[in-house]
Amino acid sequence: MTLLPCTSSVPMPGVREMSIASRRRFQLAVLLGPVSAFLAVFFLGPLAIMVVTSLLAPGLYGGVEWTFYPHNFGRILGFADPMFEEFDPIYIAIFLRSVEIAALTVLATLLVCYPAAFCIARLSERWKNFCLFLITLPFFTSLIVRLFVWVLILRQTGLVNEMLLSTGLIERPLDLIYTRGAIILGMTYVFIPFMFMPVYASVEKLDWTLVRASLDLGAGPLRTFWRIILPLTAPGIAGGAVIVFIPALGNFVVPAVLGGAKVMMFGNLIEQQFLAARNWPFGAALAMMVMTVMLIMMIAHVVLSGRRSAAAALAR
Amino acid sequence: MKIARTLFTGSLLAYTGLFFAFIYIPLVVIAVYSFNANPVNMMTWTGFTTEWYAQVLGFKTKVSESALYIESTGQLLQAVWNSLMIAASTTAIATIFGTAIAIGLYRFEFVGQRFYRVVMFMPMLMPDIVLGIALLIFFVNSGIRLGLTTIIIGQCTFLISYVFIVVSARLAGMDRTLEHASADLGANEWMTFRRVVLPQLFPAIVGGALLAFIISMDDLVITYFIAGVDVTTLPMFIFSMLRRGIKPEINAIAVMMLSFSFVVASLGLYLRSRQK
Repeated sequence: MTLLPCTSSVPMPGVREMSIASRRRFQLAVLLGPVSAFLAVFFLGPLAIMVVTSLLAPGLYGGVEWTFYPHNFGRILGFADPMFEEFDPIYIAIFLRSVEIAALTVLATLLVCYPAAFCIARLSERWKNFCLFLITLPFFTSLIVRLFVWVLILRQTGLVNEMLLSTGLIERPLDLIYTRGAIILGMTYVFIPFMFMPVYASVEKLDWTLVRASLDLGAGPLRTFWRIILPLTAPGIAGGAVIVFIPALGNFVVPAVLGGAKVMMFGNLIEQQFLAARNWPFGAALAMMVMTVMLIMMIAHVVLSGRRSAAAALAR
Repeated sequence: MKIARTLFTGSLLAYTGLFFAFIYIPLVVIAVYSFNANPVNMMTWTGFTTEWYAQVLGFKTKVSESALYIESTGQLLQAVWNSLMIAASTTAIATIFGTAIAIGLYRFEFVGQRFYRVVMFMPMLMPDIVLGIALLIFFVNSGIRLGLTTIIIGQCTFLISYVFIVVSARLAGMDRTLEHASADLGANEWMTFRRVVLPQLFPAIVGGALLAFIISMDDLVITYFIAGVDVTTLPMFIFSMLRRGIKPEINAIAVMMLSFSFVVASLGLYLRSRQK
């Protein structure tokens, strides 16, 4: 209260309230001001500059020329003026391949996590917490180390090939690493906690009386699953799908380590434009594609989950 | 029906067992084989040795042929030191900023608050590569020399979000009657904050700080783009080793890193479970 400047003056009704309000505003400014400025400059600023750069012309020797130049996108999407840039369907092909790999990763993580979530949700409190601890633990360990482990397991002289060779099941080592499958396996391994947590949250909340009612009323187990369990856990699945798909799509570490030069993803393409080809505007345009997909998915997720909760409110 | 149920429960348990095996067997494999003496084929067991650890830690140099691979232990130690320095700085900044923003958004009311909360999730959801190149373009254009400073600033942009989420979850779930009681009993706002709010918030702040520290130590993609040519962090060091080829020393480094993060993460998760 010592901070109040008006305590010594004649107390007038309303003055005290007003000064409290202004003091709150001052506190809020102190709390949020510096952070907001920091994020505006170093988070929103860079994103804005990236958007601008994607519309500029590449200069000689890696620079940028300040002219409006939509051909970066044209080169990717097919409306390039051949005077400036050549349209090459390879970019769309790589983009679609990345979307496919990301989608398959979502599917794989879901298949791995969904049944386990049901099992863990029904354990006793102590075991439940222990299992959750074991699942979150890898998230805190180094990503690059976890990928390295898979290199050791999958490569030509890796664990799997050595074991198969020594048992005589195969005569020559199999090509396990540097394949699309290796990328999906690596991503699945890395993204398990991302999928498990949201799926688990919705499985744990599942109202089992509805399941029992459905079974009592004559629906078979399969039908109960399709009509009751799956719809009720759908929000968790959707949430997990979004937070696995987004980082999987733009990933360049997993394909760089497990895909080698053979399987290129969109992230590797972006990296190349920045660190090898030195065509920053084109690289920025490629990154904009990833960001657009992310924004569309986020908006769709917000709208759909909003609609779901509205429907749930109406049903009540 | 009963048999079917038992079968179903049994297979579900077995599946969950496989699930944990999938997560942990690779880590056990690498831990075991990091003691393998075979310098050429790391997955063929020829005997027990601690040589790789000794080499990484600089107790022995260039004993075997493959020891030449790490040009110098000095480079590795420099990378570890850089990572620790960066993580310490970013953790300090992100913890203060993240806590401030959480208190601002959960103990005050103002127009646009909900929007602000949604925006705070964005740096976390932004794909690494997009944020990495955006920061690279930004720093190069603004003439800031790439190096430790740019890495620290760049990592803070998304680490703030992580601390914010951990601390705000605690703030949202906190019992406010204690704060009201404190105010009723005559404590001023600062006193209430220091004696009532902060002690309750403390585990979340520590948890958020540990999370930020670990993510900072582990960040590869964003750091990779904005590190410039002079600075190498530990994940970057391993990434470049992996790209050049694999030698047993990486095994030892990997196992030491795993152990370190297991200890820190266990501590963090323990603290978080304590506050519930």
